[in-house]
Amino acid sequence: MFVKVTLSLLEGFYTTFEIFILTLLFALPLGLIICFGSMSKFQPIKWLSKLLIWVIRGTPLMLQLIIIYYGPGLVGTWAQANQDGSAIMKWLATWQCFDRFLAVMMGFVLNYACYFSEIYRGGIESISKGQYEAGQVLGLTKSQTFFKVILFQVIKRIVPPMSNEIITLVKDTSLARIIMVYEIIWNAQKFIKSDGLLWPLFYTGVFYLAFSGILSLLFGYIEKKMNYYRG
Amino acid sequence: MAILEIKNLVKSFDKTEVLKDVSFSMEKGEVVSIIGSSGSGKTTLLRCINFLEKADKGQVVLNGEVIFDGDKKKEMLPAEIREKQLKFGFVFQSFNLFPQYNVIDNVTLAPKLIAKSRPDFKQNKAKIYAEIEEQAKNLLNSAGLSDKYLSYPCELSGGQQQRVAICRALQLNPEIMLFDEPTSALDPEITNEVLKVIKSLADGNMTMIIVTHEMAFARNVSDRIVFMDDGVIAEEGTPEEIFTNPKSKRLKEFLSNVRM
Repeated sequence: MFVKVTLSLLEGFYTTFEIFILTLLFALPLGLIICFGSMSKFQPIKWLSKLLIWVIRGTPLMLQLIIIYYGPGLVGTWAQANQDGSAIMKWLATWQCFDRFLAVMMGFVLNYACYFSEIYRGGIESISKGQYEAGQVLGLTKSQTFFKVILFQVIKRIVPPMSNEIITLVKDTSLARIIMVYEIIWNAQKFIKSDGLLWPLFYTGVFYLAFSGILSLLFGYIEKKMNYYRG
Repeated sequence: MAILEIKNLVKSFDKTEVLKDVSFSMEKGEVVSIIGSSGSGKTTLLRCINFLEKADKGQVVLNGEVIFDGDKKKEMLPAEIREKQLKFGFVFQSFNLFPQYNVIDNVTLAPKLIAKSRPDFKQNKAKIYAEIEEQAKNLLNSAGLSDKYLSYPCELSGGQQQRVAICRALQLNPEIMLFDEPTSALDPEITNEVLKVIKSLADGNMTMIIVTHEMAFARNVSDRIVFMDDGVIAEEGTPEEIFTNPKSKRLKEFLSNVRM
């Protein structure tokens, strides 16, 4: 039984890991874009970004997943029931639920990108004006100043809050089961119904702990690597 | 012909008028020190000259070419401003070295990036970089930093950091060096090592404007002293005239309050 449970949990953990790694892959760059948006001098973009961050941070990820997954399907059903033949209603009637995994990814990427964007913003704003001015008087372009001078300092400063957020992501992946994506907790819960076993659920903790332990070591290593200078 | 002319510069921050019609000019090789109490507009004047601030009115003329005209409505392109900024070397009060780069990289970063736009960059890259590094080492050696090439800014004293910052500015071969209170962030006992470097530049005929609170140094190094008070040039003259024979009441007050 132990082997059977372990294999099943490993299978679930694979999905967990997929959600984790894909979220990072897309949310890290998207967060930077949202961050630039929220710091933009062009007011509409700035306020749109701020609005997005407010909505995403202000509602539970679980709810966001439910809305992203069920929302389009509901709109489609409603449009079919109230069809009046207009182009827009015809189009709305074609709406369907996303693939479950796709819905999970959309929810996680958007949610984490918003949190990351605020961490980036904090990092960027913590760099002194003098660094930008030094780049300026040395004839660097704005993008050279950002990529050659500012960015590295930002990364060094945001490693601790980022590692916090990324370890939270490991555990947040368990929310995917709310729209029936079979991650590790789902696979463990299955054994309650099928075999009356509760311990597989407890056993998942080992997987989470091991994974976040590896991540902590990794972040510790990165911090140490970047510690060759102060400031 | 004057190398630099400032004509009727006016600058306000919100409603505070920091520069009220400032004009002066200087010759090539001249060293001008700007003194005055805090808030008199010294630093703002310096920053307006090299585009760190945009003046509201007035002109800056370099070698007979108007490089800034406050009456022109059209905004200058960033590339245009950068090109003009490079005529000046700027040294900050707080050094502003790049903490993640070692000394030699701090000095060579900008020239290496600028060299990329040279048409012969691709075929001569190694040679160009070698030249830049050679120049950087010469500068650092003459500033007494020959053993610090690979140190990081955090490993250096304030005086050493400021000397690196001076080398970094000189590396771009500016026509005029601007110093914004270069020793104000330093311990009194290490200001001398920085002042010595500035003095050697003056002896080498570098054109310089120095905003400073070091009166003895200003007197010793300058060809001319400009005393600013409340956004205007209240008095200017040779060090002798300013320090031994001040005319205006404000300058007399100022000099009696600062240590020499």
